[in-house]
Parts: sequence; structure tokens; C-alpha cells
Amino acid sequence: MTTMVERTTTPPPLQGPTAKEKKYDRQLRLWAAGGQQALEDAKVLLLNSGPGVVGVETLKNLILPGVGNYTIVDEVDVTEKDLGVNFFLEESSLGKSRAEESCKYLQELNLEVNGNAIQKSTESFVEKPSVLDNYTLIILIGPTKDCSILEKISQHAQKSSIPLFYVHCVGFFSHFSVQLPAQFPIVDTHPDPASTQDLRLLNPWPELLIFAREKTGNLPFQRDHEHGHVPYLLLLLHYLNVWKAARDGKAPANYSNKKEFAAMVAEGARKNNAEGGEENFDEATANVLKSLNPPSISSGLKEVFESDDCRNLRKGSANFWIIAHAINKFHAAHNGLLPLPGALPDMKAQSSDYIQLQNIYKAKAHSDFAEVTATVRRSEKDLDIESPIDDKEIEAFCKGAQFVKLIRGRPIRIAKSTETLDWSDRAGALSMELENQKMMGLESLLPIYFAFLALDRHHDETSRLEQSRREPSPLKEIPGARDVSGAVLPVPNFAEAAHFYTPAVDPETEPKPWPRFDTPEARKTFDNVVKELDRADGAELHNISALTGGMVAQEVIKVITKQYVPVDNTCVFDGIASKTAVFNI
Amino acid sequence: METMVNGIEHSRERWRYLDYFLNKPGPTSDPEWLPGEQTINSLETSKVLVIGAGGLGCEILKNLALSGFKDIHVIDMDTIDVSNLNRQFLFREADVGKSKAECAAAFVEKRVKGVKITPFNGKIQDKDEDYYMQFKMIICGLDSIEARRWINATLVGMVDTENPESLKPLIDGGTEGFKGQSRVILPTMNSCIECQLDMHTPRAAVPLCTLATIPRQPAHCIEWAHIIAWEEHRKDDILDTDDPEHITWLYQKALARAQEFNIPGVTYSMTQGVVKNIIPAIASTNAIIAASCCNEAFKIATSCNPWLQNYMMYSGDDGVYTYTFETEQKEDCPVCGNLAKSLTVNPNMTLQEFIDSLGERAEAQLMKPTLRTEEKSLYSQFPASLREQTAPNLEKRLSELVENGEEIGISDPAFAIAFKYKLIFSS
Amino acid sequence: MLKIWSMKQQQQKDANAESAAGTKKKKVTAAQLRVQKDLAELEGTLGKTMKTSFPDPNDILNFILTIEPDEGMYKGGSFHFNFAINQNFPHDPPKVKCTQKIYHPNIDLEGNVCLNILREDWKPVLNLNAVIVGLQFLFLEPNASDPLNKEAAEDLRSNREGFKRNVRTSMSGGAVKNEQYERVIGR
Repeated sequence: MTTMVERTTTPPPLQGPTAKEKKYDRQLRLWAAGGQQALEDAKVLLLNSGPGVVGVETLKNLILPGVGNYTIVDEVDVTEKDLGVNFFLEESSLGKSRAEESCKYLQELNLEVNGNAIQKSTESFVEKPSVLDNYTLIILIGPTKDCSILEKISQHAQKSSIPLFYVHCVGFFSHFSVQLPAQFPIVDTHPDPASTQDLRLLNPWPELLIFAREKTGNLPFQRDHEHGHVPYLLLLLHYLNVWKAARDGKAPANYSNKKEFAAMVAEGARKNNAEGGEENFDEATANVLKSLNPPSISSGLKEVFESDDCRNLRKGSANFWIIAHAINKFHAAHNGLLPLPGALPDMKAQSSDYIQLQNIYKAKAHSDFAEVTATVRRSEKDLDIESPIDDKEIEAFCKGAQFVKLIRGRPIRIAKSTETLDWSDRAGALSMELENQKMMGLESLLPIYFAFLALDRHHDETSRLEQSRREPSPLKEIPGARDVSGAVLPVPNFAEAAHFYTPAVDPETEPKPWPRFDTPEARKTFDNVVKELDRADGAELHNISALTGGMVAQEVIKVITKQYVPVDNTCVFDGIASKTAVFNI
Repeated sequence: METMVNGIEHSRERWRYLDYFLNKPGPTSDPEWLPGEQTINSLETSKVLVIGAGGLGCEILKNLALSGFKDIHVIDMDTIDVSNLNRQFLFREADVGKSKAECAAAFVEKRVKGVKITPFNGKIQDKDEDYYMQFKMIICGLDSIEARRWINATLVGMVDTENPESLKPLIDGGTEGFKGQSRVILPTMNSCIECQLDMHTPRAAVPLCTLATIPRQPAHCIEWAHIIAWEEHRKDDILDTDDPEHITWLYQKALARAQEFNIPGVTYSMTQGVVKNIIPAIASTNAIIAASCCNEAFKIATSCNPWLQNYMMYSGDDGVYTYTFETEQKEDCPVCGNLAKSLTVNPNMTLQEFIDSLGERAEAQLMKPTLRTEEKSLYSQFPASLREQTAPNLEKRLSELVENGEEIGISDPAFAIAFKYKLIFSS
Repeated sequence: MLKIWSMKQQQQKDANAESAAGTKKKKVTAAQLRVQKDLAELEGTLGKTMKTSFPDPNDILNFILTIEPDEGMYKGGSFHFNFAINQNFPHDPPKVKCTQKIYHPNIDLEGNVCLNILREDWKPVLNLNAVIVGLQFLFLEPNASDPLNKEAAEDLRSNREGFKRNVRTSMSGGAVKNEQYERVIGR
């Protein structure tokens, strides 16, 4: 047995990583080859303005991981003050196109990425908005010259289902809103590994029951070694049978039942050993509360199942809906069960028992997947769809069904100076946000968002007033501007203007004492933010831009790879308190 | 800008954006703060130290340079690897193998005119208090808990109440995947890294016996190859996790073991991940955390706005979630809970006499003290072997055992916490 | 910066703490202080069946523990364990290895020890005492259920008396199943 013959075989070929896998190793461990491919297929458009640092910093974080293609649209030439805030420029860039110079220095970060620069203003670039269709994702840096440009881009992106990010970064504050397509489903949400997954102990299938009987049938007579290595799942199944036999076939249903059941399982452990217990029994009792729940579905999946797109498939239905439809049918046909994901957590067990148990789960997962696939194929036939959905896509959905998420993209709010913002259905929720934070003794960050809206509105107004000076038009139509003896008033500065246009929530939709936004706390935050934004006078601080560029890039990556869960839909950052908040606007 | 009265005024045009915050107070800046020249001057003359020139460090150097700091030092002992290039944006393929600190310093110095960046290619432990004393603050982008604990203890130990400048704010960042955290530590004034040690989750480990006899997961097979097989077959080679031959050997061992037990899923990449304990890292998360750290550094250095009290955690897995809170200083913290006190002693006193005197001290009557310096065990009450070995010291004079000003650490079974004294010899 | 210094001075005034003179000498490390404390707490544990020895008394992070069981099947043996503690203690557990080749289900031929608190169950609140008690226990109650030396464990499980004989053989330097063991029986 100890005599070893030196084997003289040629070493097997090195199955080491490719050059690309080596370079991207640390990110492939997050989004894998599929996510990487999506990133490499993406074409990102940056519509830059202002000091323009946040946009460039965002691109940096996309170019490094290998986004396929980026385009910078920027009107201005590089000036001295750009060099104090933008890292992707050099002394020699002074006086040259900022789009081209930033593009050049960003390009150095990753030669596999294709970069383009266009020296144009956003408004002239989007003169024909169809130009946006050349891109798969748009990052628009605010504020735009006036709100009509933002509106034009937002509407076109909506129509073409292109994700749009609208980003503001001024002084110590920043804000971004994400406008996703009306339906943005995510299958690979990367749920927390600790989140419960259904092991179907309350709905076991024959193969699992047979194996459980084989391993637990003679439990009291097993030798210690065997007894201490029965996988906890099988122990739970065994004791469930014992429990049910004494209770008209009913499984433990409520908390006190489960506590009682756990005590019964614990009672089964042998204690006459060195450790005074058995690890597999410890695992079993620890998992009682988690593992013995009747099947239920997450609110995210429920929303998917209940939507019209899932119930009524059409010729043009997206793959997502065709699979969701099939899974819904499975769910209905199996008393609320979802296809078995098939993954088995690690547990104390002999290697061979564990592998056998793992195979039983895998086989069941595969047969559930086959059932869903059959439904999908029938739908395809009914709808006359020629190219069948890839098995892998169906399989991924089956595995992650419980954690599937559907985000319904909403248009970005536009604070036009000529209109009052209509908060319609969001009024109640936003007012609630302020109330709740106040009740918890916290300061809501919502007023930061309002301050950025006021800033947009101010720019819109300034632009209109300037235009009206050039071409005299009836000023009376413009609120805030008064015609005093024929003379045009100077444009109010932002701090003054902000107070005119503090967005109020529409009193019609929620008949409470409005505007609820105007609480003393929210007003104080708002005033401070306005003053701080006024101090900044449009300037970006590099740190805040870099931080915001990091946040936006994370979100862009999540949207492009359709992995993890992106912000829905508005995020603000407060660089004084070092806090963020997300609002569904 | 055109009116270039002198060189200084001209150069401020570049910093026009920054100057909005240095020349004007904001609604939340400290009312006692004086904006203007003095603030700008203090920012530009503040010497700051960056520890780590990796994913966070590259970002930190860029951010500090563009925050108006002019004199930056950076320490890193590592060389550039190809797997750094997806986020460590100051490095190019041609730089692989070069010193991170030197390469990063040269790049930022070249890109941002007027900033001086001094690299040190080595370990933080190579430097002494004199070195750390020269900096106004320290910003850390590290991946090692041990290094964090070391710099934390060093900075806490340096605080001298007679000299306010001995207090060096420590700003620390860390990331993992889409998550990260940044924190501001004012040594001795608030919760230190040692106080917060339990916030670092220890690396999950699998029982050795599982690896040895009942593997179930691919990672079990890899750990077996790493911990058991390597020692059995290649005891004399030091395992180098950066050597592809070594990783390939482990991979093949793990694969063979997995096949023996019918365990699917062992890959080369997983082998590397398990053996090197690889933590996923991306540019965007580093950008967020590094910028948060530098934002705090900027606020502390300029007083232009209040700084973080004292911890922000960030998670981008599911939307954006941050939690900003104040961690509590621990009274029994072994680093900042009981600072070294000066104790004037007669150098001719024997160690035994010194120990006797400890029993009479007011703040803590140390009846059964065990004492040591960093270098020496002075006297141990227990275990017996150590007591025997150290007993001869009892008759020695203090001057034979410790240097003037040296720190001794004393533990006593009656106290949960250790006492530290700096022995000052009376003349 | 000035702000922090004035805050510190204020805090100092409030606490009226004693001041410490600045020095550049090396400081006792947190790991050293913790080990010093842990060692002092071994007093009730070591007794006559266990002792420690320090090759370098100034280096308390590296020492040898000798266990001489006075009962059980390993009675009469003298077993040496090398303790290597790093500066990241107690965040990291101590590294413990048996320096002799012994026949034990929970210790392999390389000296690796399967003890939960040395690996998966280590927590910084645990101390050296817990580790040492755990090691001692392995000689009183070798655990066949979770072995590191599979042959020894199977031997113990299937034939306790035979296993005892093999333990004695191995302890006196004999061979068990073609494997030669180190003599560990007393002086």
C-alpha cells in the first residue's frame, strides 16, 4: 500500500485562466462571464456639462471593468480650473476640447475599450433625438440648459427603452435618478446567501422520502458514528413523521408548535459522548424555524405573477414573461410550490450521503425545470415564436424564481419653471417619508432632492429669461418675473429663486393640511442645502464627484448586467453628514 | 485670472472651485472657523500619509491631490499584479512587477502639477514614531486587519497631551464587492480600530476533520490540498500563492480528491479564490469608499464642514443603502482603554522593589503583577517555567532591564485590563 | 485640524489625566499583553499533568505545551505541542501543532490537530486556557466521530480494546499498520 511507483505521465494541460480572466478576476467573482459579456456589449453615452467631473469619474469606473464602448459629448474647451478638479486632463489639454482630452486620458485605462468624443452641446447633439438609439445606456449630467432638453431626452429614452441616468453633483451634495424601461425584470438578483431557500421539507417527494427512510429507519439502533452523521434534513423529515403520526398528520404550524418540535428533535440527540451532543442534531434544531414553512412567494414575484403581461402572453411578449407565465402555471399546479432551486446547504454528513442527497435535490430541480420548459415550449408554439428561448435562461429563472424582481421604470421628474410639479400618486409616500424620519428622530434627506429640483427649475427660468431678453415676448406668462415699468428685472439668484419654487405636494390628491413638505424640519434642511448649493455656485468638489461617480457606476453595472438590484429610482448623497437615501419618485 | 499680479494669484485660478469652500462659510460650518488664506495655507502645508497604494490607495492619492493637499506620502510593500488592473487605475500592463507605491506616486505627481508625493516601498512596521509624527493625518486603504491594528495602536500610543499635534486623525476605508465602510478615528478621543474589532467578521473556516475525512464541498477539497496535502508532499517548498505552478498543483490535488468523493465544481479559479482568500473588488466600490475617506480628510484639514462621527457602512447589493452611526469607545479596549502613564522611578531600585511599590499605588493595587516590555519578559508570576526563567530579574536594577522612557505592560489576575507605564528615571 | 486639537485639550482638562512623556521606544503590543494575561490565567489549569516551556523566555508568543495524561489510554505519555501566536491574536487563533508523530484519531501524522476552537469555532473572547483544556480533553476522550487520522478512528470505532493496544504500541515507539511512531513514554 505504501509502495508508490513514480508515474511518468506528461503533466495535464494547465487549465489556468486566460489573460482576460486574470485581469478581470476580482470582478468576475461578482458578475461572472455572463455579466462581463453584457458589460462588453454595452455602449454608454455621457452627455456632459458643468465642471463635468462626476461624468468622467463614472466612466472611469466603467472603463476599468471593460465596458464595450463609451462616448463623451461635451461642448466646452479645457480651462485652467478644470485642471484643479478633473484627473483625466493634463497641462497640455488647456484650450483643447474637453470631450476629446478626457476621452484620451480615460482610454489609457483600458485599451480593450472603444472611446469616442464629440465636441457638441447636449442640446445640439440631441437635436434629432434618434441619435440616442445608437447607445444602450445614457448618463446625462445636470443641470441641462433648460428643462425642455431634459424632457426631450427623457421622453426619447422612454420610447426606445434605453436606461437613462440623470446625475447632479454640486458642492457637498449629489443626486441621481434612474429612468429604467417601463418593465425592467431582474432574475439574477444575488440574494443574501443567508436568505431562506425552500428545501421542501413540508412537501417531500418520493425519492427524498425513500432516502430519509433508508437513513433514519433504524435511528435508535444506529452505531454512534452513523447516528452522528445523518444529514439534518433527513432527521427533520424523520421527526416530522413522528410528530405528524401523533397529530392527525398535521405538521408544526405555529411558533409554539415549532419550539415543541425542536425540543423533540433535540431530545433525540445522544449525549453520552465526548461532546455531550451531536452536531447534526444541533443543526436540525437550529433549522426548525427556518425550514418548516409552508411555501410562500416573495412580494416581488407576486407582483410579476399578478401582472397582465404574465397572465396574457402576446406575440411580442418578452422571454421573461413567457418563462414567468410557465412558472406561474407550475406554481398553480403544485399548490403554491415554485420549481426547486436544487442547491443544498452544507451540513454535517458523510461525503457519500451528502452527495446522494445533493443528487436527489438536483434531479428534482431538473424535473421541475423540465416541466417549466415544456410549458414554455407550448407557449412558444401557441404564439408562433420561431426561435426558442435558451434552456439556460429558463433554468436561471427556475433557480432564482423566489428572488426575481420587476422594477417598473418611471419617467424622471422635470421641474419646469412654467408649471407646478404634479406629484400625483407619489405625494402621499413622500410626505410619509418626511413624517416617518421625523418620528424616528432623523432628518430626512428628501429636501436635498427638492433642492436639486429647485436648481433645475432655476436654470430653466434663467434660460427663459435670457431668451426673452433677446427676443422680447410677453413676460407676464413667466411666473416670478415681473414687469416693472417696462424694465426687465435681474434674474434672481438661486438662493432667492429656490424659495419661490419650493415644490409643494399637490393638495388635491391627499386632502391633508398641505404642503406637508413644509414642515419646520424639512424647511430647515432645505434652506441649509440651498445655502450650501449657493456657496458652491455650481462647483464640483472632486471627492463628492468621485464618490457619486462610484455610486452611479455601480448602478450602471447593475442595469447593464441585469444582476443585483439597482436603485429604484432616485438617490441623494449628503457629503456633510456622510449619508445617502433612496426615494421612489 | 488675466490680472496676474503675482504667481500665487494666478495659481489659485486652478483651484477656483475648491476656493468657494475655503473662502466662504456654509450654513453648517463651524461658526468659529476662519475661512480664507489661513485655511488654504494650512491645507497646503499639511503633510498627510496614505497607507496602501492598491485599489483604495490609488483613488485616495488622486482625491487628495485634487483636494488641495500638496505634500503626500504613500507606503505600500506590494508590487503590481495583472489582476490589479481592473481597478488600480494608476497602473498599466507595462507596470506589472513594479512597486505600487512608487508607480502610483509618480503617476499622480505627473498628472497633478504642484503636488509632491513621496513613496515608500516597504512595510508600515519598518517606520517608527518619529516618522509617523511628521504627518497631520493618516488615511488607510488596507486589506489586512493586522496592519490596521498595528497603525491604530501606534497612533494611540503616540498621543501626548502636552503636544496637541501628536494626535493624528486616522481615516480608514475597506471594501468587499459592492460593499464597504469608512470611519474616522481620533486616537484616544473616540472609538479606535481595536474597539471595533468585532465588526470584522472572521473568515469562515471548516473543521479540519471534515477536510480530512468527510469532504462535501469543492472548497473542502481545495482546503484539504492547501492545508494537508501540501504539507504531506511538499513540506520543504514554501507555498507561494502567486506561483501558478503551486496553484496548479493544489488544483490538481483538489480535483483528484473531489473525483474520489464524486464532488462536482472544483475549478482553477475557485482554487485560487480559496487558497488566496480572494475578496472580490471593483473600481466603483473603491471609488465610493476612497472618496468618502478623502472627503472626511478634507473636512478635517480645512474645517469647512463637520466631519463624520464616526462610521459609515455602504452596501450596493440591493439598491443603495448606507448606515451612518457612532461607534462607542470601549472602556476595556486593550489599546485605547488604558493609556500608558508616566511613572518616575529610581533606576537603582531593583525589580522586586519596584513590584512591591506597585502594590501600594493608589489607582490599582497590583498584588500579583506580571510585567514585560516589548522586548523582554521582566517577571512572570505564572506559568512556573516562565517564573523560574524570569526570577533572576527580581534582583536586577531597573536600569539594567529597561531604558529610560521605555514602556512596560503589567497584567494582574485581579484586573481584566492591562496597565501600561512609561518609566521615567529620576536623576 | 486646530479644531480637533482644541477638542482634545478640552477633553484632557475634563479628565485631568496624567500626562505621558513622548518617547520613541517600542511599545508592548496588544497581542503580547493579551498572551501575558492568558498565561497568568493558566494557574488553575496546568497542574501536574501539563506544563509549558519557553525556548526564549522573552518571546511569550512561542512556547511548548507538554501534556502528560494521568488517566485514560494515553496515560504515561508525554505529548508536546508547539504554540505559535501571531501579532493578530486574538483575532486569529493560535497555531498549535503536535511536534511528535503520534497515533491519535484527532491528530494526523503531520501533527495537525482537529479541535474546533483552533479553527472554525475560534472567537477573540476565547483564551489560551480554553485551547489547552481542549487539547487535554483529546487525550482523555479521543473522538472517533470526526477524525483527522481515519485509520486510527476506524480502529477506535471497531475495536476499542485493539485500539488501546495500538496506542500503547505507538507510544512506546512501535509500528501500527506499517506506520512507525515516536516514543513518547516518560523519562
